Amino acid sequence: MVDAVLFEFLHTEMVAELWAHEADPDPGPGEQKMNLLVLESMGFRVGQALGERLPRETLALREELDVLKFLCKDLWVAVFQKQMDSLRTNHQGTYVLQDSSFPLLVRMASGLQYVEEAPKFLAFTCGLLRGTLSTLGIKSLVTASVAALPACRFQVVVQRS
Amino acid sequence: MTVHNLYLFDRNGVCLHYSEWHRKKQAGIPKEEEFKLMYGMLFSIRSFVSKMSPLDMKDGFLSFQTSRYKLHYYETPTGIKVVMNTDLGVGPIRDVLHHIYSSLYVELVVKNPLCPLGQTVQSELFRSRLDSYVRSLPFFSARAG
Repeated sequence: MVDAVLFEFLHTEMVAELWAHEADPDPGPGEQKMNLLVLESMGFRVGQALGERLPRETLALREELDVLKFLCKDLWVAVFQKQMDSLRTNHQGTYVLQDSSFPLLVRMASGLQYVEEAPKFLAFTCGLLRGTLSTLGIKSLVTASVAALPACRFQVVVQRS
Repeated sequence: MTVHNLYLFDRNGVCLHYSEWHRKKQAGIPKEEEFKLMYGMLFSIRSFVSKMSPLDMKDGFLSFQTSRYKLHYYETPTGIKVVMNTDLGVGPIRDVLHHIYSSLYVELVVKNPLCPLGQTVQSELFRSRLDSYVRSLPFFSARAG
């Protein structure tokens, strides 16, 4: 097992590097979205790979809910050394995963400071979730929101064609 | 027994953080001047101590005391200096100052992507955790002794 700090520092630098390339002093919302998209697709590719490597038993992941539970337990433990705090669903393809103390945010603040910057640090993880789901056969859309650090929630909407 | 105030400096003399708990008398000069004065004094004392030491130096300058207060000093290999003024009843607190560095500064400032290093710390989380840590110390009492 590697020290979790290595991933945290690397992630911090990824976010910083993308934002450091803003040429004009007042970036429009388009530039922000580009950066978030880049982070999200990086997370997607990592998630795809993790999805192949992590699951131990294939039989356990028969139902959609089992896959989500796998994300909350095994994936979160492998990447963040803790489990997701809560998983809710409307049983119609929408799942809300809540983490009351998300490791990438927990060092930043405990409350409202830095709330506007928080989405930058969640984009990669959204992609991670989407990638793992896609390898396990579920096409989805993942978004994240923060009300007060370090708690955040990820919303997974399954796309059924 | 009490803690009067705390300074945190980086290797370039930038004052990263200052908090006070019980300070009855101010220095009479603006805060910027005070930080420069403190840093300059520490720099001079450190080189004085290492030059004049009759034996091989182990930890270097640790603390000084006057008839009213004691100043404790801790420096890391990276040049971060933690300075705490307490009253006279307090013994060596090197481990406390080290904890402030490793569990508070490193965890909440160095690892915080939004805190640029080399500038005064803006993180509210750092400020409040540091405050509650100092207040929880056994030699801190709410009433200035």
